[in-house]
Amino acid sequence: MALREAVPSAVPGTSARQAVAELRNLGCALGSDLFVVIESLTLFAGDVLVLDAPSGTGKSTVLGLMAGIIPAADLQGRVQRMFGRDLADPSRPFAPPTAAELGFVLQTSTLIPYLSLAENIDLPAAIARCTVAADWRAQLIRQLGIETLLRRMPHQVSVGQRQRAAIARAMLARPRLLLMDEPVSALDPSNVRRVETLILDLARQAGAAVVLASHQVDRSAFAAERRAAHRVVHHQGVAYSLFHDAEGRA
Amino acid sequence: MTIPLRLALRELRHDWIAALCFVAALVGVLGPMLIILALKNGVIGGMVDRLVEDPANREIIAVGTGAYDPAFFDWLGQRPDVDFVSPATRSINALADGLRSADGKKTELSVPLIVSAPGDPLLGAVPVAAGKVWITAALAEKLGVTDGGGVTMFIGREISGRQESARVELTVVGVVPSERYRRAALFLSLPDMLAVERFRDSAAITPDTWLDDITSPSQFASFRLYARDLADLEGVMQALSGRGVETRPRAENAVLLLKFRSNLDLIYGLLAVLALAGFWAAMAANLRGMVERRRLAFSLLRLIGLSGRARMVIPLLQSLMLIGCGIGLSFAVVLPVLGVLNVVVPGAESDVIATLRWRDVLGAVGIGALTAVTAAGWAMRAVAAIQSEEVLRNG
Repeated sequence: MALREAVPSAVPGTSARQAVAELRNLGCALGSDLFVVIESLTLFAGDVLVLDAPSGTGKSTVLGLMAGIIPAADLQGRVQRMFGRDLADPSRPFAPPTAAELGFVLQTSTLIPYLSLAENIDLPAAIARCTVAADWRAQLIRQLGIETLLRRMPHQVSVGQRQRAAIARAMLARPRLLLMDEPVSALDPSNVRRVETLILDLARQAGAAVVLASHQVDRSAFAAERRAAHRVVHHQGVAYSLFHDAEGRA
Repeated sequence: MTIPLRLALRELRHDWIAALCFVAALVGVLGPMLIILALKNGVIGGMVDRLVEDPANREIIAVGTGAYDPAFFDWLGQRPDVDFVSPATRSINALADGLRSADGKKTELSVPLIVSAPGDPLLGAVPVAAGKVWITAALAEKLGVTDGGGVTMFIGREISGRQESARVELTVVGVVPSERYRRAALFLSLPDMLAVERFRDSAAITPDTWLDDITSPSQFASFRLYARDLADLEGVMQALSGRGVETRPRAENAVLLLKFRSNLDLIYGLLAVLALAGFWAAMAANLRGMVERRRLAFSLLRLIGLSGRARMVIPLLQSLMLIGCGIGLSFAVVLPVLGVLNVVVPGAESDVIATLRWRDVLGAVGIGALTAVTAAGWAMRAVAAIQSEEVLRNG
């Protein structure tokens, strides 16, 4: 199996110091019959990468592996370099990414239910003690159309408004990497295109690399963006769901 | 305000009905316990303490008459479990035929005489002496005598069918309060008691000479004896029994009283421990339940970078806040109730029916804080185990 073969620790023509993320053979088991693996993936600031694969193939798991919240299996040739730090180095304690490094937008369960929208938006930056430019915060909130909802609690706004607040929260500290797990799937169809465009626009303003999991990309604002190749290989009763960067940057 | 404190407060405010229910349940447990404690401190404890501390309950009475020499009294006086001992005359002679007020207007017949000496637990600081006596409040009231006043004592005898009477002017140096000795009686010095006995027993002693040249006999017929403490009664009586002296306690139920007091403390302690254990279990389960209800929120907090320590502090702070509110509200409810109780229910003399001391308040706060910290442990462990991938999987 190719996964077990040694792979180069750096990709020719790229600089590890400049890359936001550089991953090789990073994977984990999902149950006994599915193994999700990022074969190769390299991201630079401003890159947008779409994980376009059917449901159940491990797109969310890929995001979790990148964020470091899902423990990676010890695969041969594993490279897990994020924000210039080697997370695969067992000699260094795992340091979770800060709000200035990573923003995460979930599909649902996006907000802390007992905090107002404003408190939710500000929380990660407060935890990371990041200084947020007031004009960037105001611009973010205005463009996402939630400026009149900031004092409301999550249960007092719609699903779409909650999702927009979650996007604001993820972007507030201008993270270097934005991971988005089907961020518009719960939205009203009439708002989907507008929010998708907004995400791209705001991510570019923030200078963030974006990895977005979606299974309906073709008619979305992300249709023109770079996509990760995905294939499933069956071997000895186990399905290997393999993702890799399709455009040669990996 | 630190982030964990803000999150803990926000969650409690958001789930205020659940928090209020919990605080109400805490008041339901703590309130009655505080009222019982206040009653124990007040009317129940006060009554028992008064009975236990009443020196009359420590008195040991000799059964019948004996012959006790000075060595016997030295032996008793040196015992650490003996508070007071004095030689006494035969009980048949411990009675004055009459006592008259100094103005001669009031007379009381057949007045019991009680021998006394310095250190008498029933009397105050000024001791009796020859011609100087203490009078009980009951007798003082009947004769209209006060501290510093005087009385005339009459001792009668019959010799060969002829009635004779001796008299002496006595100065009252103190009045024994009724809670110390309820009946009418006169406390006087051993020399005066010996004079009374000698006058009754010896025809050679005349009413004119009965107070002259009083010497101590080589043996005494009886004694007045008080143990140092209620708990010492049994030991002193056993020691006397070992010398062949039969005695009985003045208060037959004195030892039972002592046991009742310690049992009262034990019963309250057990009640408090049971209530505390129940409260602790309820608190721990409630906090654990709160974590489970907010499982995804804790997972999200971990995902957005809140440290493990900060996340674990949240249920601890909530525990402290809930218990703090519960204790505060319990006192807010209980103190007015105690005030009403003390006004509505009449207490004995100056006693209050129910009272809480500062140490009770501090104890409740201290035990509450300890309970809050320990009961939060389960919830804290659960929080620590919640992974950030849970919110990703649930999403």
